[in-house]
Amino acid sequence: MNSPFPKSSSAAGEGKIIARLQPDGVSGLETITYQYPLKLISPSKPAEDKSVLVFFLSYGGGLVGGDQVDLSIQVHPQAKLTIVTQGHTKVFTSTKPDIVTRQTLRAQVASGGALCLLPDPVQPFAGSVYEQTQIFKLAKDASLCLLDWVTQGRSARGEDWSFVRWLGRNEVWTLPGDDDSGGRLLVRDSLILDSAQAHPQMKTLRESMHAIGIMGTLILRGPLMKSLGDFFLAEFAALPRIGARDWRSENAKKAEVIEGLSAAETWRRDRLKMEKDSGLLWSAALVRGCVVVKFGAPEVEAGRIWIGSMLVQEGSIDEIFGDHAP
Amino acid sequence: MSQSQHGRAISDEAQAIENEIADLERRLAEAKLKQRQAQQQRNSTQESEPNVISFPSPSQTILHSPANHFLLLLSDSALPLGSFAFSSGLESYLAHNKPSSFSPSPSSSKPPRTKPPPPSFTSFLPLSLSSYASTTLPYVLAAHRDPARLASLDDTLDATIVCTVGRRASVAQGRALLSIWERSLSASLPPSSSASAGAAAAAAAILKPFSALLRSAGAAAPTSSSSSVNSSTSTSTGSSSGWNDPPPVSAHLPPLFGAICALVGLSLEQTAYVYLLSHVKALVSAAVRAGMFGPYQAQKTLARRQVQEIIAAVVEREWERGVEEAGQSVPVMDLWVGRHEVLYSRIFNG
Repeated sequence: MNSPFPKSSSAAGEGKIIARLQPDGVSGLETITYQYPLKLISPSKPAEDKSVLVFFLSYGGGLVGGDQVDLSIQVHPQAKLTIVTQGHTKVFTSTKPDIVTRQTLRAQVASGGALCLLPDPVQPFAGSVYEQTQIFKLAKDASLCLLDWVTQGRSARGEDWSFVRWLGRNEVWTLPGDDDSGGRLLVRDSLILDSAQAHPQMKTLRESMHAIGIMGTLILRGPLMKSLGDFFLAEFAALPRIGARDWRSENAKKAEVIEGLSAAETWRRDRLKMEKDSGLLWSAALVRGCVVVKFGAPEVEAGRIWIGSMLVQEGSIDEIFGDHAP
Repeated sequence: MSQSQHGRAISDEAQAIENEIADLERRLAEAKLKQRQAQQQRNSTQESEPNVISFPSPSQTILHSPANHFLLLLSDSALPLGSFAFSSGLESYLAHNKPSSFSPSPSSSKPPRTKPPPPSFTSFLPLSLSSYASTTLPYVLAAHRDPARLASLDDTLDATIVCTVGRRASVAQGRALLSIWERSLSASLPPSSSASAGAAAAAAAILKPFSALLRSAGAAAPTSSSSSVNSSTSTSTGSSSGWNDPPPVSAHLPPLFGAICALVGLSLEQTAYVYLLSHVKALVSAAVRAGMFGPYQAQKTLARRQVQEIIAAVVEREWERGVEEAGQSVPVMDLWVGRHEVLYSRIFNG
């Protein structure tokens, strides 16, 4: 299972993507295979694309109870691969709590390579049981942009963290044999959302989520993501202090409007207003060479707008991977 | 054997085991009853002969148990871990959930889908315990079960605390505990000739190289009062948070606590209980200093049956969870703790 070279006769739900830099200097796919219920599509594209794009899909637009998807990804030196989805990954209700729907992703990125994973959020339906494991092994100069987010379910149907269980684990490792240190865990980000209460006096899952409708994590690593990582750290450091008061006089505030703000300042002002109005909370930290951003918002759309705004404003994702971002 | 026969055989076997358990329980109950009756008889004969005063001799296991002694030391709030500097997100939780008195935006027309309840300690405590246990208790248990894994558990845990403030709190208290161990506790371990033979030697074999590794990393221990006001840059948060390779060990509290408790002879259950109770005590003390309630209410909260039951329940929940499966059960806690940095006024360091 750990082998980067699975047998050619792949099992249900297995898929494999190998991206390689072609002689013309453009990233291309050496291999792309998949088995039902997994579906991978790489649209034909103009040759000047900065990265090769793959749609990570499933038949029926979601995973039915008991589905097992197992995707292995290899990015060769200097190659760039972008993986996106089309719409939420729905996780349908399991008929029994012991029927687990699983999605596993193992990726290896070689030196100078880059992997960008910008899927839509996972939307677990009421009664679903889902476990997602994503393991990334990165060579010393490899880069990774990973977005992983989960919603409360179909809010229009009143679902509000109504699933049985949702386990999500993201791991970033150094590639073994890369230097003297062999295969070290850099970041492990795990969520355990379980409807089972250890004690009746403890909070239910819904109460524990504290009126948040979407929870997301962005993990950035590597030379190509340094600028974006620094951007998040700087924006976090520049957040207005909670509980601080604006002591400026009305005239001073007006003067600011008249004198005008730079484009970046205007953007930040609008973004901060949006954060405040939508109740979006976020934080960023530099952890063992990775920037980890966490965000949560009452409304799914607010989370989507916020992360999109951050990525577009900074611009690295467009610049490095092309205009594939959601 | 057909499948249905096979199934029947299994259910017969299960029935037999159940019968056996019921029988054993019945016999235990009978034996206990006899014991009680005998005791009552003894007591009544003593009362009838007032000139023969006989007290039961003191329990040697309690009076002469080094484990019991260390249990009390390690559960003491006077243990100088510097826990008082941190509120584990309580201060940030209060700031984030304050009824917005002077920041209503006129354009926030859409009310939130469901309003979170107003902030209260009784809401925060179970959330905090659940989160603290699911993220760190597996590391305490694993280090207690095998103290030799201390360094690797510490490195793995360092990879899982993905927030600056949480890292600071964990490392500050872990390094404080390591210092207490080195300067204070380790000298009092029983010599290797005594009953708990080899404890001192085992401890030396594990903790000496660990602290050597910590020193070699050149990681100067950040004191709990080290201020890193308004900064989320790498310099403020210890060397494990930079863009560079992380140091070999960081000295987080959970694995050190588990290993040291094992070395002084605390049972796994005692260790887990003291670990979580200390967290509750730190929270309650933070709540007192944050002005949420006074000292009597604090003791009342600590004494509550509910607190005992929740601690027991989360210990049982985490008992078999491997460190690979540890994770955040209250994701919003990461936001509160992480955003402690952006509070305007703070009385805690985390």
